[in-house]
Amino acid sequence: MDLSQYAELFLAESREHLSACNQLLLEWERNPAALQPVGGLFRAVHTIKGMAATMGYGRVADLAHRMENLLDQLRRGGKTPSDEIIQLLFRATDALEKSVTVAVAGRERDADLSVLEAIDDAALQFRPAAQPSGLARLRPEPAPAPADEPSSSAPQVSADATKSGPTRAVHVVIRPEAPLKGGRAMLVLKKAERFGAVHRLQPPSAAFESDDFDGRLEFELETSAAPSDIEQALRGAGDVERVVVGAAAIDEAVITTGEISVTGAPNPAGGAGGGARSRHIRVDLRRLDTLMDLIGELVTERGRLNDLAARWIGRGGDPEIDDVAIQISRLSADLQNEIIQARMTPVWQVFDRFPRLVRDVGRQLGKQVSFRVEGKEIELDREILDELGDPLVHLLRNAVDHGIEPPAERKRLKKNPEGEIVLAAVRERSSVAISISDDGRGIDRAKILEKAKREGVVGPHVESLSDDQLLRVLARPGFSTAEAVTSVSGRGVGIDVAMTRIRALGGSIEIRTQAGKGTAFVLRLPVTLAIVRALIAAVGQERYALPLTYVAETVEYGTTPTTTMEGRDAIVLRDRVVPLVDLRKLLGTNGAAASPPPRRPVIVLEMGERRVGIVVDGMLSQQEIVVKGFDAPQGTLPVFSGATIMGDGVPALILDAAGLV
Amino acid sequence: MSHTVLVCDDAIFMRTMITDILAQAGFEVVGEAETGTQAVEKYRQLKPDLVTMDIVMPDMGGIDAVREIVKQDPDAKILMCSAMGQQALVVEAIQAGAKDFVVKPFQPSRVLEAVQRVLG
Repeated sequence: MDLSQYAELFLAESREHLSACNQLLLEWERNPAALQPVGGLFRAVHTIKGMAATMGYGRVADLAHRMENLLDQLRRGGKTPSDEIIQLLFRATDALEKSVTVAVAGRERDADLSVLEAIDDAALQFRPAAQPSGLARLRPEPAPAPADEPSSSAPQVSADATKSGPTRAVHVVIRPEAPLKGGRAMLVLKKAERFGAVHRLQPPSAAFESDDFDGRLEFELETSAAPSDIEQALRGAGDVERVVVGAAAIDEAVITTGEISVTGAPNPAGGAGGGARSRHIRVDLRRLDTLMDLIGELVTERGRLNDLAARWIGRGGDPEIDDVAIQISRLSADLQNEIIQARMTPVWQVFDRFPRLVRDVGRQLGKQVSFRVEGKEIELDREILDELGDPLVHLLRNAVDHGIEPPAERKRLKKNPEGEIVLAAVRERSSVAISISDDGRGIDRAKILEKAKREGVVGPHVESLSDDQLLRVLARPGFSTAEAVTSVSGRGVGIDVAMTRIRALGGSIEIRTQAGKGTAFVLRLPVTLAIVRALIAAVGQERYALPLTYVAETVEYGTTPTTTMEGRDAIVLRDRVVPLVDLRKLLGTNGAAASPPPRRPVIVLEMGERRVGIVVDGMLSQQEIVVKGFDAPQGTLPVFSGATIMGDGVPALILDAAGLV
Repeated sequence: MSHTVLVCDDAIFMRTMITDILAQAGFEVVGEAETGTQAVEKYRQLKPDLVTMDIVMPDMGGIDAVREIVKQDPDAKILMCSAMGQQALVVEAIQAGAKDFVVKPFQPSRVLEAVQRVLG
């Protein structure tokens, strides 16, 4: 069997587990007394071990095996680990990650396994004298061993005086294909609680919040209600495959003194160890890209078909063609939606490695930082998400390095010695906003302004920099490399790079900063790259597409009050002055085409706080366009982000809102 | 008399879709809300039989809105509209008092099943 075809899958899956390891270690570091992280770590390392062994990566499997061994000792011991142990596990995780990478690259022998010795030593040190069952330790309330009575004796259900009614064992299985099984389980629980107290819930309700929850739950219900009533009520939670009340799932023979020992309970540490299989398959991203391209072509052809149908009917053709065209439109729209959905990926897939990063940078620099992530579940196109990692790393590093003050300085400033960095994703209309905010020292505008003047970036008479100007100054390539900036607050390192990346994705960056209070960067990104809804505008003979994401409204030039702003024409919209850009002038269409119509539409673009009105000759339609990459020739105006093919087969350029606003 | 519904979602598209699904099944959508704050306010005004509630909304999120509404009316029947991957949020919403949930993308039959369960 050729294993190489699985290498990529092995790498991807191992990375997921390694990322989980880092998360769990961070959690454990914060709360060393917690029991959950060790179980998760054990599972992740165990999975990597199995996969690596299958791939024939002996050294990787060996490292994973020794780590697993140590984790098992820790788990069985149930003791709070020392900081030393946790740091060792961090190092081991790094070593495992590197060895996985080199193994996949075919250089497994290069794997650095120097951490092995320390792992083995630690495992030895933690070997417990007695060996209680590791499983029992992880159960929330381990049942004491049944009394002397042999379990084979006749069932004796004792009437426990402290209980208000008989206790029934309940076993529920949520349908394997049901989405968000944890939610269903919680509904089941809520419904059960109406009958009486719930005991010995397995797994504990916290597990419902995990995507690993396999949809099986068991508990004891203290109630005198009839089993059939209970069953009916629990089924009302929806998506319930099976409910067993007080029956086979629990062997009544072992009920002796009112203590029930649950047999056959799902292993809480084993997660999906049971029968439920995940309904997911992995698909090579390139396949999805190809599909997307094909759908793109289909959407273009659909446009042509619609045009043709309209003309055909106009010339007395059979109107049935319209039905076909509409049907094809509907189907291709559905198809397109499905593909876009398939490409959507929750941001946690990239965000999950950041807590570790922030921690490491913070430790290196002697800063105390608490890091919070919000909106992990927000989804973005996979391609955008992949591109986002590096810019975010830049911005997070900067926030720790230059934003957050050292603990002593923070104390002096009467701030919490622990700085806070928040990474938050929020879904806006048709974009996603990702903000990185810190409560550090903020950016010293005066010093940046001084430097900007010295370098001739702004005129000598500028008295202060707005947030926008500040960003533009900071994002100038090379601006940040000079010494003065590092001694100021050092922002700017990589901002030009980050900004270029974000702009290339059709997004924008905004900065907000306040001296002494902190700095926030807000990145706005389209949800998907491939297909956007756009407004098609005409200028002269040409058509241009403006992504609707940034279109705030349209007004008519000539019917709105006009004024000027910094020497540019502007209109007044609801008491706000909006500067105008005449596309004819910008694109040099003037003179080349017929003179502009007397009343011209203005398309108001909005990006964050900034607005600009684009004056065009006419607005033609709103439609979905397929974005094609665009290699702008040298000297092209930096206002195009791509191109598209219109329904009639003629290309049109897509205007880059970020370049215009 | 048909049941009255308050539809809460920050996306017009979603509100329209939910409204269409419910209206076709004979429900009467008596109000719409774009934010959690609006949802709480409109619930107080309209006292609908059912609320559909998006989880992620600006201003006040859906889960906080559930808490507020249940505080006013412990019998409020709220159906959460969630997305894949929002497991933890859905669990939280149910703990807060939501009665059921549906997962986007919506299939009309699934939505109506959930509505029936909630109105039971």
